[in-house]
This record gives sequence, C-alpha cells and structure tokens, in this order.
Amino acid sequence: MAIDMSQTTGVGRGGSSEGGGLKKGPKLNAFTGVLVGALGYLFGHWMGNAIAGGYQQVVGSGQNDTAILLGFIFGTIGFFLGLGILNYPLQKMTGIEPPTDEPEQAQGMMKYFRYTLDNKVVGIQYLFGMLVYFFTAGLLAMAIRTQLLSPTNHIWGPATYLEVVGEHGTMMMMMMTSVVMGPFGNFLVPLMIGSKRVAFPRLEAAAFWFTPAAYIILLSALWQGGFQSGWTGYAPLSIQQGVGQDAYLFSFGLLGFSMICSALNMTATIINYRAPGMRWSRLPMLAWGMITVAFTMLLSVPVLIVGLYVMALDRSAQTSMLYAGHGGSSFLWENLFWFFGHPEVYLLALPGFGVVTEILPVFARKPLFAYKTSVAGMIGVAVLSFFVWQHHLFQSGMNPDMRPLFMLTTELISIPTGFLYLVGMGTMWRSRMRFDVPMLFVMAVFFNFLFGGITGVYVSDVPINVTVHGSYFVMAHFHYTIMGQLMFSVMAAIYYYTPLYFGIKLSEKLGKIHFWTMFIAFNSTFLPLFALGLLGMPRRVFEYAQRLQHLNQWVSVSAFILGLSLAFFAVTFVWQLAVSKPKSPPNPWESRGLEWQVGYPVPHGNFAKIPVILAGPYEYGDPNALPVAELSAVGAHSASVSGGDE
Amino acid sequence: MPRRGVSLSKGARAGIVLISFAAAIGLILFGIFGYLRSSPDVVTATQSTSQPNTVNLVMQVDGAVGVGAHPNWVGYWVQDANGVWHQTTLVKVPVNTNVHVTVYEYDSGGALRNPEWAKVSGVSGGQVNLNGTEDAIVNPNSPGNGIAHTFVIPGLNVTVPLYGVNGSVKNFCQTGPCNLSEAHTTTSFAFFSGSSVHSYHWQCFVPCGLGYLEGNGGPMQSLGNMAGFFEVVK
Repeated sequence: MAIDMSQTTGVGRGGSSEGGGLKKGPKLNAFTGVLVGALGYLFGHWMGNAIAGGYQQVVGSGQNDTAILLGFIFGTIGFFLGLGILNYPLQKMTGIEPPTDEPEQAQGMMKYFRYTLDNKVVGIQYLFGMLVYFFTAGLLAMAIRTQLLSPTNHIWGPATYLEVVGEHGTMMMMMMTSVVMGPFGNFLVPLMIGSKRVAFPRLEAAAFWFTPAAYIILLSALWQGGFQSGWTGYAPLSIQQGVGQDAYLFSFGLLGFSMICSALNMTATIINYRAPGMRWSRLPMLAWGMITVAFTMLLSVPVLIVGLYVMALDRSAQTSMLYAGHGGSSFLWENLFWFFGHPEVYLLALPGFGVVTEILPVFARKPLFAYKTSVAGMIGVAVLSFFVWQHHLFQSGMNPDMRPLFMLTTELISIPTGFLYLVGMGTMWRSRMRFDVPMLFVMAVFFNFLFGGITGVYVSDVPINVTVHGSYFVMAHFHYTIMGQLMFSVMAAIYYYTPLYFGIKLSEKLGKIHFWTMFIAFNSTFLPLFALGLLGMPRRVFEYAQRLQHLNQWVSVSAFILGLSLAFFAVTFVWQLAVSKPKSPPNPWESRGLEWQVGYPVPHGNFAKIPVILAGPYEYGDPNALPVAELSAVGAHSASVSGGDE
Repeated sequence: MPRRGVSLSKGARAGIVLISFAAAIGLILFGIFGYLRSSPDVVTATQSTSQPNTVNLVMQVDGAVGVGAHPNWVGYWVQDANGVWHQTTLVKVPVNTNVHVTVYEYDSGGALRNPEWAKVSGVSGGQVNLNGTEDAIVNPNSPGNGIAHTFVIPGLNVTVPLYGVNGSVKNFCQTGPCNLSEAHTTTSFAFFSGSSVHSYHWQCFVPCGLGYLEGNGGPMQSLGNMAGFFEVVK
C-alpha cells in the first residue's frame, strides 16, 4: 500500500467534515447556495450586458450570449460559495490554515442538503439526484411519445418538440453518466476495498454539487427557446440557435467537470486506498467497473470540455471556429464531440456490467465465472472505446478510406463486450439461482443487451450504417444498450443495496410487479422501433408517414405503460423508504462482499480498523474458502459471512 | 428540520410524502400547460359572404417593428372575423374549401439565395395577384424591392413569394400591427384546403432571422413568427 492509513497518522481518518474547512460559521446549505447563486447570475448577466450589449449581433438578434454565459458562470460560482465548497480552497489560497479537526456532523435530512465529506452521504445525495434527473428526462420521453401518437395532430409545435427531444437526450446522456459511479461508486467502493474514506473527499462532494447546477441550467433551456440541435449539438445549428444552446453547452461543461472530479477521486481511491490483502485479483467487479470508467472519463471528458469552450466562444465572442462560412469547420466539433461521445456510451455501459457481475454470483451462489476474463473485458472495452468514434461520421463526408478501419475497430469492441456477456452466462450456468428482484433485473440486463449488442455489430458495418443512419433503428439500438442495460442494472442495484443504504428491504411483491411491467413494457416500446427504423422513420421529426401510425401508437402506449411502471417504482420506493420502512435483516442476500460485513448503519469511518483481506468476494459454494476479511465488527448488526454457505 | 432524537409519526411521514407527490405533479402540470403547451392564438378564417364554399383569410407580415417577446423578430399577423389582428401563425380552415388569402407585406425584401423560392405553385389558376397584376413568378431582383418572405405549405404544395416593400420609402411601418396607410405590397391568391382533416405545417423559407447566422434562427422556426399550422377541420 502506498499510503499509511492508520489512525495515528490521521490520514485514514473517516471524512465527515462539512463546510470545506469552516469549523464555525454560517450554516451553509443548498438553499444558501441557490440564493447566492441567483445573485451571482444577476451579477454575471449585468456584466455581460455591460460588455457586449452593443455588439451588432446582439442588437440584431436581441439575444446576448455573453450575458447568459457570464450569468451561468457567476451563478455557479455563487452556488458553490453559498454551499461552502470554496471555503477550503479560498482559505488555503489566502494563507489561512483551515481547521483540521472534524466539525459536528449535521443530523437528519438536512445533511443531504449540505456539502459533506462523508462518502456515504454523497452516495445517497447522488442516488436521489440521479433519480430526479432520470424521471425528469423520462417525463420528456412521455411528451415525445404523446406527440408521436399521430402524424397529423400536434400536441407541441415543431420547435417545442425538438426542444423536448433535445432536453430528453441531453439530460439522459449527460446526467446518467454518473448514475452508477455517483450513488454506488462513492458509497460502496471505499467499503469494498476496505478503506475508511475516499482519496479526495472534497472533489467527490463537489462532483455531486455540479450536478444540480447543471440540471437547473439545462432545464432552464426550455424557458429560453431550447436547443433544437439535440444532444449532439452539431454546428452550424448550434451556432445559430437561441440562448437555450448556451444552457446546453454550459450545463454539459459542468457535468464534464463533475465527471473529471469524480473520476480523479475514484482512480486515486482504488489505486491507493485498498486495504492490505486487497490485491487487484481480489478487487470486486464494481470497483473494476469504476476504475475503468474513471480512466475513460479522465481521457475523454477534457476533449468534450474543449469542444464546448470552442462553441461558447463562437456563440459569444463571435469567433468562427465551427462555422465553415467564416473559415471554421463543423468537423472540428463533430470530432471533438464524438471523441468524448463514443467512449461515453461505454461510460454508461461499463458500470452496468460492474453492477451485474457484482450481484450475479450472490444470487447464483457460485463464484464469478472467469473473473480475469471479466476484468479483461472491461479494460478491453475501455481501451477500444477510444478508437471507434469516427463510426458516427461515416456519412459526414469523411475520408472513405478511413471507414473500414473504424468499422473494424468498432466490430472488435464486440469481443471484450462478449467476454462480459459470456462471464454472465458462465456464472449462471448450472447455478442454483435465487430469483429475487435484483436477480430478475440482472437477467433482464442480459436479455436486453443481446438485442442492443447484436444490432450494434450491424450498425457498425458501413453498408448497414449508411442505410439506417439517423433512423429509429439506431435509436432502438442505443436505447436497448443504455436503458435496457444501464437502467435495469441501476434498478438491480437499488433493490440489492437498499438494505445496506437505508436498513430496509424493499417489498419483493411490489418489486416483482415493477420488474415485470417494466421489462415487458420496455421491450414492447423499443423492439418495434427497429421495425420503424427499417421502414424509414427518421429521428427527430414530429411528423411522419401516415403508414407508420399504428406502429407508433403501439410504441407510445407501451411507453406510457413503461412510464407508469417507473412511476409505480418511484411511489413505492419513497413510500417504503419514508413511511412503511420494512426492516431488513443484516446482509439479507448472504453476500460475501466486504461492504456487507460492516452492518447497518454503516459506521462513521466505515471500519474501526483497516481490515485485512483474506479472500476474494465471490467464493460462493467453496467450503474451504476463507472469510473475505478479518475485521473488527463495529456495526450494531454486523454480520460475518464466511466462505461457502452451501 | 428534523433534529437528533426527534422522529415523525407514520401519519406525518405519509402526509409529507403525499404532499410532496402532489407538489411534484402540480409542478409538472404547470410546466406542461403553463409553458410547453402555451401557443399563439388560433384564428379561424372568415366565411365568404359573396362566394360559396370559400373562406377569406387576411394576413400581414411585419418587419422588426417592436412587438411581443422578441421585438426584433419578423412575424405574421392574422385578422379575425371582427377585424382584430393577432400575431400568430395558427389558422383554422374548413375541409373541402377554397381559401382566399390576402397578404399585406410591410417588410423590405431582397435577392434570393434559391431562385426556386420566387416561383408560385399550388394556388388556384397557378398565379397570384400582386398589387393588381397576375403573376406566376415574382421578380426577386427588382431594384429596391425583391422578395421579403414566402408563404409555403409543403403538404399542399402551396408556395407564394411575397414581394417586399421598396427600401427607400419614407412611410415604413414602425410598430405592429401595421395599417394600410403605411408602405406595403398586396398579394392575393386562393388554394384548396384538401379533402381530409389534417394539420399542415407551413412556414417562410426566406432566411429572415435578423442577427442569426445565415438568417436561419430565431423567428424562422417559431410559432407566431415565421412558422405555423393550417388546421384543416370539418
């Protein structure tokens, strides 16, 4: 181990301080953050008007992008100031040594509305934040499907429809990048690797607080004319758009910073804070998923931020880097965007595989099949993801000689993805599965991903790509891979980890109603979209051929059932969490995972002493397996599960 | 704020959850109906008193003359049966009907990027009446005038170029809705509304988003300005 995490050095002390170093001072929280953020926005907007109010462009169009962007910048700084996130760095910069002792931790619900350095609180903040973002984007999907009930009658105007589509796509693709790393990575990885804390708790906490700022700013685009460019933001559409596009680029940039902070913390934590005995060969699969995603984020997200910066300059300072008419190139944006954008698809997929390979052995009651192959699959996907982005540009006028290369690299990525799939199949093979709700969702992941993965091989082929490009076929493909894989994984994780997070076990009966309705409605929604695409329905149009109406109506009704299923989950989840509170026994799934050995509530600082890891977490069914770790039980209901319970 | 040792009863917790759900639903409904579903007025075409099976539609196109949320945006206005002007592009006409349209153009024009936009199509007789003269094509290169906007319903194959006001006139309209004493051109034409109930998207194809890149932003895709719907109803 690179870092001594003993109590005597103080390095390993459990982090729970708040306010970023202020021992005593104003009680800063999300509400003070919003207040100072609003003042910051007004200041920035005023400054922007003072600077650029006289630009010819501004006078002509009546819109001042400089004012909007400066408003967002100062609004975000104000939000962070109001939350206390900047106290620590400001004190350091001004030569004031921040206090090193831990301030009193806020109690009750209020701690979830504050800047906190406790990885478990941050995980729960992320969980609810992500659910809010997901459901908002889901409601927008319902709005899309309502419009598409009819090719001739319109619920929304064409511009509003595109606003809704752009908001839905951007919110899903941008906010959901953290849907596993945020709630599950932050909470679980320190527990899984035997650490008392994360490496950079301030970065971890700041990473979360970027997300509500990004959410509000992105949503505000709806009130500013939206951005009809969709989530890909292609120029020149993105340059000629109204100020809603500023909200798109700024919120995406904030999420980029969030991802970088989160990834830095995750990488450093997993590399440096593993307990003695936690070899790479014993690292839980969720942690492998997190570290591969973190590296992918660190290498890809900065490129996106550069692209967004270029777009911001084109829109505000009237540079012309993305507009060919004035000497720029829209290819610049396309390449910068997709250099991030395609790895991003795997930022969404890999954590999902991390979750399912983590949960699967628990319910299969046998060791994870081909652990090393599984790790190789994750690393392989992460590495290859940087060599495929040009398949999004097959029809853009790119050098045709480059097409076979990117077709090959894209097809190659199906090999490590196949590893992950086969690991799942191998683990299930001849196992004595328990079909609890988390396991049902895990199995659904493999079912859904089969459609998403196989059609992915087809759309990577140039001839088919040219045929189905921009159609509903592609849309069906990526919804199967992202919603069918990632969101079902997230649901599995929520049902699986609720006992550890909240001490309650969600009802199996309600969970199964949720699962079956969601599973059937999901497939009923997205499977027909392959047919619609092949029949020629293009994406992002609110009017379509009359002959496609019946299929569209089927899809819309299925989507509404899917929405009702998710609403059912939301209501029953919150109800059980806040009202009925069905108590869970400790470690109800009899997992060997180290995270389950500390009991509920997870103690402050995670472990009384740094545990010594003795065995891997997946040695189910092996009567000779050692306990996963030697640790001092500190939780009220701590459970020690030795290897081989069968 | 709950404090250490203070716990709420089950009923209180249930109440808070139910109120929170109700608030969330209220917020969603407000977002949908207060904003996303808000749209300009819908104006119904007036039944002709002189011709059977015909409705009259009187419209005007204003330049950037300072009305509405975007005073620098060009926009269409439609006159209702009472003679009141509405800044809108949402029009209702009956099915199987001849729609007789008069458009007063108050904006200045110019040359076209695409000469196809100067051609007339889809109207009765294949011609429009421009300032009293029948034309099948409008000259986009006439000095000082040119074409200001177009009125296009792709679903009905209707395309009508709207001749612009001469840029050197003194009595430009200064605020909308404009009146006939101010400089304008008059284009009238008729088209058939079709035999089926339908919602036809229509818009101006001349890039007229002042201040936007290539003129293709702002008012071009906005309902109430340069894009709208013809609702063909029973």
